[in-house]
Amino acid sequence: MTAGDTTSRAEDLLADRAAVLYGPFTTPQLLRLDEALRLADQSTDLVFSVYVGELDDPVRGHAEKLHSQLADPDRSVLVCVSPNQRALEIVTGTEARKRVQDRDCKLAALSMAASFSGGDLAGGIVSGLAQLADHARRG
Amino acid sequence: MGRPPPRAVGGVTCSATVNAVSVLETVLFFVAIPAAVVALVFGLVYMGGTRPGKRYRPGRPFEFTPVWFLSAPERLSGASGVDGHAALTGPRHAELPAGTAGEKNSAGDTGVAAQGDLGGASDRW
Repeated sequence: MTAGDTTSRAEDLLADRAAVLYGPFTTPQLLRLDEALRLADQSTDLVFSVYVGELDDPVRGHAEKLHSQLADPDRSVLVCVSPNQRALEIVTGTEARKRVQDRDCKLAALSMAASFSGGDLAGGIVSGLAQLADHARRG
Repeated sequence: MGRPPPRAVGGVTCSATVNAVSVLETVLFFVAIPAAVVALVFGLVYMGGTRPGKRYRPGRPFEFTPVWFLSAPERLSGASGVDGHAALTGPRHAELPAGTAGEKNSAGDTGVAAQGDLGGASDRW
Protein backbone atom coordinates (compact mmCIF):
# COMPACT_ATOMS: atom_id res chain seq x y z
CA MET A 1 0.00 0.00 0.00
CA THR A 2 1.46 3.31 -0.99
CA ALA A 3 1.23 6.56 0.89
CA GLY A 4 -1.09 7.92 -1.79
CA ASP A 5 -3.51 5.05 -1.23
CA THR A 6 -3.58 5.68 2.47
CA THR A 7 -4.25 9.37 1.98
CA SER A 8 -7.06 8.88 -0.49
CA ARG A 9 -8.58 6.19 1.66
CA ALA A 10 -8.44 8.44 4.69
CA GLU A 11 -10.05 11.19 2.63
CA ASP A 12 -12.79 8.80 1.52
CA LEU A 13 -13.40 7.86 5.10
CA LEU A 14 -13.59 11.49 6.16
CA ALA A 15 -15.94 12.25 3.30
CA ASP A 16 -18.09 9.32 4.37
CA ARG A 17 -18.19 10.61 7.91
CA ALA A 18 -19.07 14.11 6.75
CA ALA A 19 -21.82 12.69 4.59
CA VAL A 20 -23.25 10.80 7.54
CA LEU A 21 -23.13 13.95 9.65
CA TYR A 22 -25.11 15.78 6.99
CA GLY A 23 -27.50 12.87 6.83
CA PRO A 24 -30.83 12.90 8.59
CA PHE A 25 -29.55 11.68 11.94
CA THR A 26 -27.62 12.99 14.90
CA THR A 27 -24.70 11.06 16.34
CA PRO A 28 -26.66 9.44 19.21
CA GLN A 29 -29.33 8.41 16.74
CA LEU A 30 -26.67 6.90 14.46
CA LEU A 31 -25.33 4.89 17.37
CA ARG A 32 -28.81 3.59 18.21
CA LEU A 33 -29.38 2.66 14.58
CA ASP A 34 -26.07 0.86 14.41
CA GLU A 35 -26.88 -1.08 17.53
CA ALA A 36 -30.35 -1.97 16.25
CA LEU A 37 -28.96 -3.19 12.92
CA ARG A 38 -26.25 -5.20 14.59
CA LEU A 39 -28.66 -6.85 17.01
CA ALA A 40 -31.14 -7.62 14.23
CA ASP A 41 -28.41 -9.20 12.09
CA GLN A 42 -26.87 -11.20 14.90
CA SER A 43 -30.09 -12.59 16.31
CA THR A 44 -31.61 -13.67 13.00
CA ASP A 45 -28.73 -14.35 10.59
CA LEU A 46 -30.65 -12.34 8.03
CA VAL A 47 -29.13 -9.15 6.65
CA PHE A 48 -31.01 -6.01 7.59
CA SER A 49 -30.29 -2.71 5.97
CA VAL A 50 -31.85 0.72 6.02
CA TYR A 51 -31.91 3.24 3.20
CA VAL A 52 -32.99 6.79 3.98
CA GLY A 53 -33.30 9.05 0.97
CA GLU A 54 -35.31 9.92 -2.08
CA LEU A 55 -36.88 7.09 -4.04
CA ASP A 56 -37.65 7.35 -7.74
CA ASP A 57 -41.13 6.64 -8.98
CA PRO A 58 -42.38 3.97 -8.85
CA VAL A 59 -41.24 3.84 -5.26
CA ARG A 60 -41.68 0.09 -4.91
CA GLY A 61 -39.67 -0.59 -8.04
CA HIS A 62 -36.79 1.56 -6.87
CA ALA A 63 -36.81 -0.10 -3.45
CA GLU A 64 -36.65 -3.54 -5.09
CA LYS A 65 -33.79 -2.41 -7.28
CA LEU A 66 -31.85 -1.27 -4.22
CA HIS A 67 -32.62 -4.60 -2.57
CA SER A 68 -31.20 -6.47 -5.56
CA GLN A 69 -27.90 -4.61 -5.13
CA LEU A 70 -27.27 -6.17 -1.74
CA ALA A 71 -24.74 -8.97 -1.68
CA ASP A 72 -27.24 -11.63 -0.65
CA PRO A 73 -30.68 -10.37 -1.68
CA ASP A 74 -32.46 -13.63 -0.83
CA ARG A 75 -31.57 -13.36 2.83
CA SER A 76 -31.85 -9.59 3.05
CA VAL A 77 -34.46 -7.28 4.47
CA LEU A 78 -34.30 -3.71 3.19
CA VAL A 79 -36.17 -0.86 4.83
CA CYS A 80 -36.46 2.19 2.57
CA VAL A 81 -37.62 5.46 4.04
CA SER A 82 -38.21 8.59 2.01
CA PRO A 83 -39.09 11.40 4.44
CA ASN A 84 -39.90 13.95 1.75
CA GLN A 85 -42.15 11.60 -0.19
CA ARG A 86 -43.52 10.28 3.10
CA ALA A 87 -43.07 6.78 1.74
CA LEU A 88 -41.91 3.62 3.45
CA GLU A 89 -41.05 0.37 1.73
CA ILE A 90 -39.96 -2.89 3.29
CA VAL A 91 -38.50 -5.42 0.84
CA THR A 92 -37.77 -8.99 1.87
CA GLY A 93 -35.85 -11.55 -0.20
CA THR A 94 -37.05 -15.05 -1.00
CA GLU A 95 -35.52 -16.67 2.08
CA ALA A 96 -36.21 -13.70 4.34
CA ARG A 97 -39.85 -13.70 3.30
CA LYS A 98 -40.33 -17.13 4.83
CA ARG A 99 -39.06 -15.85 8.16
CA VAL A 100 -40.67 -12.43 8.08
CA GLN A 101 -44.04 -12.74 6.45
CA ASP A 102 -45.68 -9.90 4.59
CA ARG A 103 -48.22 -9.53 7.38
CA ASP A 104 -45.43 -8.99 9.91
CA CYS A 105 -43.83 -6.46 7.59
CA LYS A 106 -47.08 -4.58 7.29
CA LEU A 107 -47.41 -4.52 11.06
CA ALA A 108 -43.88 -3.15 11.45
CA ALA A 109 -44.52 -0.67 8.64
CA LEU A 110 -47.63 0.61 10.41
CA SER A 111 -45.77 1.24 13.64
CA MET A 112 -42.86 2.85 11.81
CA ALA A 113 -45.18 5.13 9.87
CA ALA A 114 -46.83 6.13 13.13
CA SER A 115 -43.46 7.22 14.51
CA PHE A 116 -42.54 9.01 11.29
CA SER A 117 -45.77 10.97 11.26
CA GLY A 118 -44.79 12.22 14.69
CA GLY A 119 -41.45 13.36 13.24
CA ASP A 120 -39.35 10.62 14.85
CA LEU A 121 -37.38 9.03 12.02
CA ALA A 122 -34.69 7.30 14.04
CA GLY A 123 -37.08 6.01 16.70
CA GLY A 124 -39.40 4.61 14.07
CA ILE A 125 -36.61 2.81 12.26
CA VAL A 126 -35.13 1.38 15.45
CA SER A 127 -38.45 0.06 16.70
CA GLY A 128 -39.37 -1.23 13.24
CA LEU A 129 -36.08 -3.14 12.99
CA ALA A 130 -36.63 -4.61 16.43
CA GLN A 131 -40.09 -5.72 15.43
CA LEU A 132 -38.92 -7.28 12.16
CA ALA A 133 -36.07 -9.07 13.91
CA ASP A 134 -38.48 -10.33 16.54
CA HIS A 135 -40.73 -11.85 13.88
CA ALA A 136 -37.72 -13.33 12.09
CA ARG A 137 -36.56 -15.03 15.28
CA ARG A 138 -39.94 -16.59 15.85
CA GLY A 139 -40.79 -17.33 12.23
CA MET B 1 -26.95 62.53 67.80
CA GLY B 2 -27.38 64.10 64.44
CA ARG B 3 -26.95 62.57 61.07
CA PRO B 4 -23.66 63.28 59.36
CA PRO B 5 -24.05 66.03 56.84
CA PRO B 6 -24.27 64.86 53.23
CA ARG B 7 -21.10 65.19 51.26
CA ALA B 8 -20.79 66.22 47.69
CA VAL B 9 -18.42 64.19 45.50
CA GLY B 10 -17.95 65.34 41.94
CA GLY B 11 -21.16 67.28 42.05
CA VAL B 12 -23.19 64.22 43.18
CA THR B 13 -24.58 64.28 46.66
CA CYS B 14 -24.00 61.10 48.64
CA SER B 15 -24.21 59.87 52.21
CA ALA B 16 -21.32 59.14 54.51
CA THR B 17 -21.63 55.36 54.10
CA VAL B 18 -22.62 54.93 50.43
CA ASN B 19 -20.35 56.06 47.66
CA ALA B 20 -21.75 57.95 44.74
CA VAL B 21 -22.21 55.87 41.57
CA SER B 22 -21.65 57.57 38.27
CA VAL B 23 -23.94 57.12 35.25
CA LEU B 24 -21.22 55.15 33.45
CA GLU B 25 -20.97 52.66 36.31
CA THR B 26 -24.74 52.27 36.39
CA VAL B 27 -24.85 51.55 32.68
CA LEU B 28 -22.00 49.08 32.97
CA PHE B 29 -23.73 47.27 35.82
CA PHE B 30 -27.24 47.09 34.42
CA VAL B 31 -26.53 46.80 30.68
CA ALA B 32 -23.04 45.51 30.02
CA ILE B 33 -23.13 42.60 32.50
CA PRO B 34 -26.51 41.23 31.34
CA ALA B 35 -25.40 41.69 27.73
CA ALA B 36 -22.23 39.74 28.46
CA VAL B 37 -24.24 36.93 30.05
CA VAL B 38 -26.63 36.78 27.07
CA ALA B 39 -23.69 36.74 24.68
CA LEU B 40 -22.09 33.91 26.65
CA VAL B 41 -25.24 31.80 26.45
CA PHE B 42 -25.57 32.46 22.71
CA GLY B 43 -21.94 31.56 22.26
CA LEU B 44 -22.35 28.28 24.11
CA VAL B 45 -25.49 27.37 22.14
CA TYR B 46 -24.01 28.01 18.70
CA MET B 47 -20.50 26.85 19.50
CA GLY B 48 -21.11 23.40 18.02
CA GLY B 49 -22.16 24.87 14.69
CA THR B 50 -25.60 24.63 13.18
CA ARG B 51 -26.64 21.72 11.02
CA PRO B 52 -28.85 22.44 8.05
CA GLY B 53 -32.30 20.91 8.29
CA LYS B 54 -31.97 19.90 11.88
CA ARG B 55 -35.18 18.13 12.51
CA TYR B 56 -37.64 16.26 10.39
CA ARG B 57 -41.18 17.58 10.45
CA PRO B 58 -43.70 15.75 8.29
CA GLY B 59 -44.87 17.88 5.39
CA ARG B 60 -41.92 20.23 5.44
CA PRO B 61 -38.97 19.81 3.10
CA PHE B 62 -36.09 18.02 4.80
CA GLU B 63 -32.66 18.47 3.28
CA PHE B 64 -30.13 15.71 3.90
CA THR B 65 -27.66 13.44 2.20
CA PRO B 66 -29.16 10.04 1.40
CA VAL B 67 -27.68 7.27 3.53
CA TRP B 68 -27.70 3.52 3.36
CA PHE B 69 -26.93 1.63 6.55
CA LEU B 70 -25.69 -1.91 6.83
CA SER B 71 -24.30 -3.47 9.96
CA ALA B 72 -21.65 -5.02 7.72
CA PRO B 73 -20.98 -2.69 4.77
CA GLU B 74 -19.01 -5.33 2.84
CA ARG B 75 -22.27 -7.12 2.19
CA LEU B 76 -23.30 -4.48 -0.30
CA SER B 77 -22.18 -5.79 -3.65
CA GLY B 78 -20.21 -3.29 -5.64
CA ALA B 79 -19.39 -1.17 -2.60
CA SER B 80 -15.94 0.16 -3.27
CA GLY B 81 -13.19 0.86 -0.80
CA VAL B 82 -14.62 -1.34 1.91
CA ASP B 83 -12.05 -2.84 4.22
CA GLY B 84 -11.34 -3.52 7.85
CA HIS B 85 -11.60 -0.04 9.24
CA ALA B 86 -14.96 0.55 7.65
CA ALA B 87 -16.53 -1.69 10.24
CA LEU B 88 -15.16 0.48 13.01
CA THR B 89 -16.80 3.66 11.87
CA GLY B 90 -20.24 2.58 12.96
CA PRO B 91 -23.11 3.12 10.59
CA ARG B 92 -21.26 3.72 7.43
CA HIS B 93 -22.44 5.73 4.52
CA ALA B 94 -22.13 2.98 1.99
CA GLU B 95 -21.68 3.74 -1.64
CA LEU B 96 -25.02 4.72 -3.00
CA PRO B 97 -25.94 2.97 -6.19
CA ALA B 98 -25.73 5.23 -9.17
CA GLY B 99 -29.06 4.24 -10.60
CA THR B 100 -29.61 5.94 -13.92
CA ALA B 101 -32.87 6.70 -15.62
CA GLY B 102 -32.18 4.26 -18.44
CA GLU B 103 -31.32 1.48 -16.06
CA LYS B 104 -34.50 2.10 -14.12
CA ASN B 105 -36.75 1.24 -17.02
CA SER B 106 -35.64 -2.38 -17.09
CA ALA B 107 -37.04 -3.40 -13.71
CA GLY B 108 -38.58 -0.33 -12.15
CA ASP B 109 -41.49 0.36 -14.45
CA THR B 110 -43.23 -2.92 -13.79
CA GLY B 111 -43.97 -1.68 -10.29
CA VAL B 112 -44.96 -3.97 -7.48
CA ALA B 113 -43.37 -7.40 -7.21
CA ALA B 114 -41.16 -7.11 -10.28
CA GLN B 115 -39.07 -10.07 -9.17
CA GLY B 116 -42.08 -12.12 -8.23
CA ASP B 117 -40.98 -13.77 -5.02
CA LEU B 118 -39.96 -10.63 -3.15
CA GLY B 119 -42.06 -9.83 -0.15
CA GLY B 120 -42.53 -6.89 2.13
CA ALA B 121 -44.93 -4.07 2.73
CA SER B 122 -45.49 -0.45 1.82
CA ASP B 123 -46.87 2.39 3.83
CA ARG B 124 -47.24 6.14 3.72
CA TRP B 125 -47.71 8.66 6.45
